[in-house]
Amino acid sequence: MESSVQSGSQVTDGAFRSSNGQQGARLAAIRHEMEYLNTIGKRFVAAIDRFQVHRALLAALQELYSFSACCILLKGDPFELFIIPCYPLEASFLEAMIQRIANAANVIDFPHVEAEQLARSAYFDAPDDLARARTQDDVAGTEIGSSLNIPLTVENRIIGMLSLFDEKTGTFDTDLLQLTTMIADYAAVALENVRLRERENALWREAELERQRLELIIRSMAEGLMITDAHSNITSLNQSAQYFLSQARVDFKSGVDLHQLAGTSNTTWLPRLIEIIDQAIAGKTVINQELVVGVSGEAVPLTLSISAAPLHDASGTSTHPIGAVAVLNDVTSNKQVERLKDEFVSVVSHELRTPLTAIKGYTQHLVRRIERRIRKIRNTQQENNLPLTELPESYDLRSINIVQSQTEHLERLVNDLLDLSQVQWGQLNLRYEEFFLADLLVEQAKSVQASAEQHHVAIDITLSDTRIIADRVRIGQVIGNILDNAVKYSPQGGQVMIRLQKEGEDYKVSVIDQGVGVSQEHFHHIFERFYRVHNTASHQYTGIGLGLYIAKAIVERHGGRIWFTNNPGSGSTFHFTLPPFPPEHNDKHSSESL
Amino acid sequence: MSLLNDDSSSISREQVTEAYLKAIRLIDERVAPLLGKATTRVLVQAAAKRVMNEYPFLSCLIQRPYTDINPSIIQEQLSGVTSSTLIAGLNALLDECFAGLRELTGDLIAPPLHDEVAHQLRQLQ
Repeated sequence: MESSVQSGSQVTDGAFRSSNGQQGARLAAIRHEMEYLNTIGKRFVAAIDRFQVHRALLAALQELYSFSACCILLKGDPFELFIIPCYPLEASFLEAMIQRIANAANVIDFPHVEAEQLARSAYFDAPDDLARARTQDDVAGTEIGSSLNIPLTVENRIIGMLSLFDEKTGTFDTDLLQLTTMIADYAAVALENVRLRERENALWREAELERQRLELIIRSMAEGLMITDAHSNITSLNQSAQYFLSQARVDFKSGVDLHQLAGTSNTTWLPRLIEIIDQAIAGKTVINQELVVGVSGEAVPLTLSISAAPLHDASGTSTHPIGAVAVLNDVTSNKQVERLKDEFVSVVSHELRTPLTAIKGYTQHLVRRIERRIRKIRNTQQENNLPLTELPESYDLRSINIVQSQTEHLERLVNDLLDLSQVQWGQLNLRYEEFFLADLLVEQAKSVQASAEQHHVAIDITLSDTRIIADRVRIGQVIGNILDNAVKYSPQGGQVMIRLQKEGEDYKVSVIDQGVGVSQEHFHHIFERFYRVHNTASHQYTGIGLGLYIAKAIVERHGGRIWFTNNPGSGSTFHFTLPPFPPEHNDKHSSESL
Repeated sequence: MSLLNDDSSSISREQVTEAYLKAIRLIDERVAPLLGKATTRVLVQAAAKRVMNEYPFLSCLIQRPYTDINPSIIQEQLSGVTSSTLIAGLNALLDECFAGLRELTGDLIAPPLHDEVAHQLRQLQ
């Protein structure tokens, strides 16, 4: 321990070189002093709270001299003043003591403090076993006879002040002052240790309270929370997560290795959950991935939306995640709403189709009747050599043609909505037949070209045999939807190229346009249902955002895939592949060959 | 109580400053063995606070320990301060230091030390 006081008994080599008798006396004195300091030091080191420090201090001082009271003022906000009387003191004596302490504190640059403030916050600590019985020599007085105020210093920093008071005058001299300062040094270090220990305990308590608060929040969360380590071992799982995952009848709990669990369980969604967690452990944030964890027989099974993110070490020393944190949201009610919405759309579409069929039929009938009537009038005019004037029936025909065109457009929309329902419910039934894909592409190109005067639809097919088994109508729908988009998003016109190539065993169809292309923000959403590229001030794009969604469903149902790329110059290219045989056909052939 | 006469016009401000810094170092030498090493530093800082209103040039002793003060720092603070004002300020500072010392230990240290300091300062004149 550092002492700020130079001991009066410092030993020099010269001292030991004195005569044997003197040396013996000197050594005895040193031993006595060391024993004394050792005793004091042990008392202070053993003190684990400030009251034990007070006892050690009082005991050490009382071995040296008698006094009325000692006080310890500790710096801080607020100040702490401990008054340790050696026997009961008069109130006026106490008052005078506190005034002296306040004065002394101000002369050693403590923050300014008034005696009244100290009196209000003073603690009394009177260890009974150290209380000294008053002797006849003790003057029963109300005034202070002697006092000492010694700064309490730790590493050259003043942490407080030790004050000693006695009713008698002349109690202290410089020798006692020096010894008292040495003891004060011990007390200062012991008090500082106590303060640090108390602070440490307070921080631990605070951290523990914070941990408990956090645990309570996590436990109360409606969202499920799962935390894993870097090896996919579950380290924490809140009650909601336990409830959600209990649907699998698999024992999800802390300490379980997800990979091992997947090895012993036939839960269908578990591999996907592990995949999401592994992605997060690899440093990727995964957002809103849906997992159907409920029983498949239910109308709307329990569906969870899972987001996972890498968990990094709080110290920030490692760039690698130390685990993953996944949040599980129950989105079943959303799914129920979606299902109700789909059912509504399906019912409405069916209901719309019946009057539409009638409108379409009667419109066609009217068109034919007006055309016949016009032909008859023209024939009569020609036979009678009358001039060919614009007939009122021609105006009617144009109007009826517009009705017919709009009815067909409405029919396509209704068909898209019906297809949506089929896709949503997994009821997209396909009617496979054998046909030449090239023929279908040419047919679709001609159909689109007929209504796209500003565009030039070109075909690039070099394959000789394009035989395929697929649903011809549905594949035609896919090509039609992509071509419609190519024309729609090329408002300035230009070429639309349809290219057919082989990619391995599969056919690859590419539709290349010179339009506006697809901006980055739409990349991940363009195949979602009802997703539409926002209209701009300069362009209004029609449609309800189902074409590519249905096209994707049809292509994937055929065992192919669909994607797009932006062209280097302008426009985009939509590709899709189709196997020459549908997946069911391949499975059948495989089982037959077995 | 005047430790150095205000009419010591023959002494430069630098000499005055150095003399009082020496006086404080002497106080520290005597006080440290009895009250610890940090005591004189805080006594001087608290004393400077008390006299600062009257002698603003002593504010440098509040912000930093007197042991960090050197004549060049004092020079910055003393522009426009006459030697007599400087002596008066430093006398007031020492008076406050001794008053503080009396507050801490009564008459155990202050009276003999005051005599010693006064003697040292008188030698300068």
